[in-house]
Amino acid sequence: MSIPVAGQPKSAQRIPAGVKLKKGMQQWIMVLPYIFLGVLGTAVFVIYPMIKNIIISFQEYSIMPNAESPFIGFANYVSAFTDPNNKVLMAIRNTFLNVAVTVPINWFLAIVFAVLINIHFVKHKIVFRTIYYLPIITSWIVVAFLFRFLFAGGEYGLINFIFYKQLGLFQEPVNFLSNYWSAMIVIWLFHIWKTVGWGVVIYLAALQGISKEYYEAAQIDGANGPKRFWSITVPMLGPVTAFVIINLVNGAFNFFPQVYFITRGGPMDQTQTLPSLMYLQAFKNFNFGYASAVAVMMGIAVFLLTYSQMKKFGNQRFL
Amino acid sequence: MKWYKTISYGVLAAVMAFTITACGGGNNVPAGNGGNTPANESGNAPAGGGKKVTIEYWHTYSDQEEKVLAEEIKPLFEEQNPGIELKLTRMPYEGLKEQIIAGVAGDAAPDLMRMDIIWVPEFAKMGALQDISKNEGFDDIKASVFEAPMETNAYNGGYYGVPVNTNTKIAIYNKSVLDEIGVTKAPETMDEFVEAAKLAVAKGKPGGIGIGGANVWAASPYFWSLGGSLTNEDYTKVEGYLNSPESVKALETIVQWNKDGLVTPTILGGEPGAWDGMKNNDYMMIDDGPWFYSILMNEAESAFKPLEQTVRGLIPAGAGGSRSVVGGEDLVIFTNSKHPQEAWTFAKWMLGDEPQKIMSKLGLIPTNKTAANDPAFLEQPFVTEYVKQLETALPRTPIPQYGEMEGIVNLAFEKAIRGELAPKEALDEAAKNIEAILTK
Amino acid sequence: MKTKWHIQLLVYGIIVLGALAFLFPFAYMIMTSFIKGAYSLPRPKEVFSVIPNLYNYQLVWSKNNFARYFLNSSLVTIVSMTGSLFLGCLTAYGFARFTFPGKELLFRMFLLTMMIPGVINIIPQFLIIKSFGLVNTYWGLWLIYIGGGVVGSTFFLRGFFQSIPKEYEESVLIDGGGSWRIFWNIYLPQSMPAIATLAVLSFQGTWEEYFTALVIIKDEALRTLPVALLMFNDKYATNYSWVFAASIIALIPTVLLYIIFQKRFVQSGFNEGGVKG
Repeated sequence: MSIPVAGQPKSAQRIPAGVKLKKGMQQWIMVLPYIFLGVLGTAVFVIYPMIKNIIISFQEYSIMPNAESPFIGFANYVSAFTDPNNKVLMAIRNTFLNVAVTVPINWFLAIVFAVLINIHFVKHKIVFRTIYYLPIITSWIVVAFLFRFLFAGGEYGLINFIFYKQLGLFQEPVNFLSNYWSAMIVIWLFHIWKTVGWGVVIYLAALQGISKEYYEAAQIDGANGPKRFWSITVPMLGPVTAFVIINLVNGAFNFFPQVYFITRGGPMDQTQTLPSLMYLQAFKNFNFGYASAVAVMMGIAVFLLTYSQMKKFGNQRFL
Repeated sequence: MKWYKTISYGVLAAVMAFTITACGGGNNVPAGNGGNTPANESGNAPAGGGKKVTIEYWHTYSDQEEKVLAEEIKPLFEEQNPGIELKLTRMPYEGLKEQIIAGVAGDAAPDLMRMDIIWVPEFAKMGALQDISKNEGFDDIKASVFEAPMETNAYNGGYYGVPVNTNTKIAIYNKSVLDEIGVTKAPETMDEFVEAAKLAVAKGKPGGIGIGGANVWAASPYFWSLGGSLTNEDYTKVEGYLNSPESVKALETIVQWNKDGLVTPTILGGEPGAWDGMKNNDYMMIDDGPWFYSILMNEAESAFKPLEQTVRGLIPAGAGGSRSVVGGEDLVIFTNSKHPQEAWTFAKWMLGDEPQKIMSKLGLIPTNKTAANDPAFLEQPFVTEYVKQLETALPRTPIPQYGEMEGIVNLAFEKAIRGELAPKEALDEAAKNIEAILTK
Repeated sequence: MKTKWHIQLLVYGIIVLGALAFLFPFAYMIMTSFIKGAYSLPRPKEVFSVIPNLYNYQLVWSKNNFARYFLNSSLVTIVSMTGSLFLGCLTAYGFARFTFPGKELLFRMFLLTMMIPGVINIIPQFLIIKSFGLVNTYWGLWLIYIGGGVVGSTFFLRGFFQSIPKEYEESVLIDGGGSWRIFWNIYLPQSMPAIATLAVLSFQGTWEEYFTALVIIKDEALRTLPVALLMFNDKYATNYSWVFAASIIALIPTVLLYIIFQKRFVQSGFNEGGVKG
């Protein structure tokens, strides 16, 4: 297996195998003090649990110490798709909906706010950035309480109070969390409100990283503001945009606190996503095998979807 | 860069200081305990030849209840049982099941727990709980408590707990709404009840029949009182009971009430919540347990006076009689308890007259017959109706699969109420799905 | 270069509106925390006309061992933040500056784990902690937080480390220093902005962590803050003003830390050309 590593001499292929092995060993000895603990920690607390999950997914798993967990083949996988209420299919649908709805809005808001804040005449840029980032550093539990509170049904929930009582835009107070679409909208708003600041900060950093020289040169050429934006800013932001979008997609794919703390999957399990479904199946109904089977399928899907992007992604900065 | 250095040194120093105190203080891991986890001997287990045994008790008592537990129950028990120290741990209700699972799987469960009655068969089947029916003195305990709560501990021929307190829900009417519609006493039959609700709604009230949700706990009093049933009498069959003509009719009636706007929006999770609706004189009636009174009477800042502003009544009787749902908690002993003897001593003691009377002062209905018939208890302003309702209240299905079964029934109720499925179809589907999990 | 006033107005209008959308819910939360006896949903009119007071804050601070849990969380968070920063820096340095066979494969495996939701890993993680005999100890929590978080921080820091010019290393090499000196004297000081950013993220991630803490910690005295927050969400009723008063107390440390670090936050390490596809 050839491993493309930057900085390695091209002639390496011609070196005899024994020497190559020895060199590899030496390289490992050099790096081991630095990565040993990190790799060990990951192996024990991340990779081993994943492997264990794969095993559990083929078992009728019992959590009791010393209890037997017989292997049952693919039964857990089969039951995931033969469930009369199609919980898994619903969760898959919601997962894709979450991506389709939140990613474009999140991305659009992030770039618009970042570009506007970055305009030269705007003062107190850091104040704006701080405010926009506040939801990110607020805990999910707190924001979930807050959103459940703001979107409470009846006329005393703040959103209903504003839109029904004050503005009269709603015909009647909406019971947001008890209908599928309105519950989904609350979940989406919750997610966007909580995470849009991340995109803003990343784009702001990227914008500030664009050298002033480009703009000065363009100004000498007589380009006006909008033109400078389209000919310099937009192309320069390309790579960051790829990074931001991959991260947003990943975030939207993994809706868990959004569902767990807001709707618990309700009404009628319709707002479940794959992570929330597996959590509730495991801990509420003790179907650990079933939950693991869903996790494994999701892992495979994510792997297939992102494998091609991985190399590109891996070299990116993660801010 | 100096700035960073200062900060990082500061952080380092703080960390070290904290680590040192931590090692000396909070998390004392008994050294050299081999493969065994420290489990529940909270650090003060006797190191060598100690006489005191500590038993840990998990509970979810409320603020006021916890106070009585710590200030009256614990000292009394320890005084009467000098060899045992009782360690109380209040658990958050959120995520409670996760914590029990982790405790059981990790050999870190407590000795005893006060557990919701519907979880007992589920955890018994898992092997997490001890069968205590062979224990010394069990038969006396069994004879001293009410039968219905006792039966919630039965699984597979044994008993996996003892009932520590019981409860049920009654009908709670808002006095000012009743005055407004000219009703002078709590309705006794379904017909009277529905008439009253119609009057209240006609007066512009957002709801007359306070069903708290489309789920078993909230809707079963109405479903049962209207003649419906969940299973046969020994809880082995669902097909033909959950979807019997009587059950279908009961659900159809509830659906019709909801269509007519008689039911409070809480049935589909809407607001105002049941308590808000009651406090703001919006709802004519809600149903709730004794905690409605014990919590709200203790809410110092509120202008709402639950005793004066409500009227209590039994769940109105329909074709099925006046049926409410039994709630409450059982005391269970975990399989991996290190001190099962002492735990059992406490369980027996807790079901005795005196502790039961102490806890009953908070509105926790005793399971001990003597304590429940104590005049001091019955004198409390709100308990009479609850005790009376308990005579006819029904348990939720005490089977290990109840958790999943409940999920399925809830879904059927909700689908019918939302009009997505006809009541008959919804119940047929649910009955079929439940039969499938019962064989597991 | 003068921009027309109406364009300025429009731009300011949009970003101020955005800022309000983020601030207002916080303001409403703070106002709600001043209301007394909110077992019921407080009416917006009451909320808007409330007089600020610390009644609920005092009440909450002394309730459910809240103060104790605050200290517990501080301890848990500071140790695990320091641990994961240090381990993250080491590992990222290894991946950024060394070549060794299997590096890309290993790194890709790391990346893959970031994409898969970890909620289901709690049980196996718990069983590992149990086999170490560390259930109900902070060591158990620290191991999971640090061991499980190293991938994220490595990933985060590697990019920064790679953008540090090689020339800086020469002075150390001339002095006869090895890779450790390069790490300590060049990489760490050069990456301080990134490390500060990561510190805030790591602090917040641990400070609010709920699921693992719930499962590992059994002893009431050892609980952390998020668990205490949820204790205010009772079985039968939620008192919103208590929940929010407690929430605000819980938010203060993270916000303070963020404000201290925010001048350095993210931007400075981001030189031109730093982001390459």
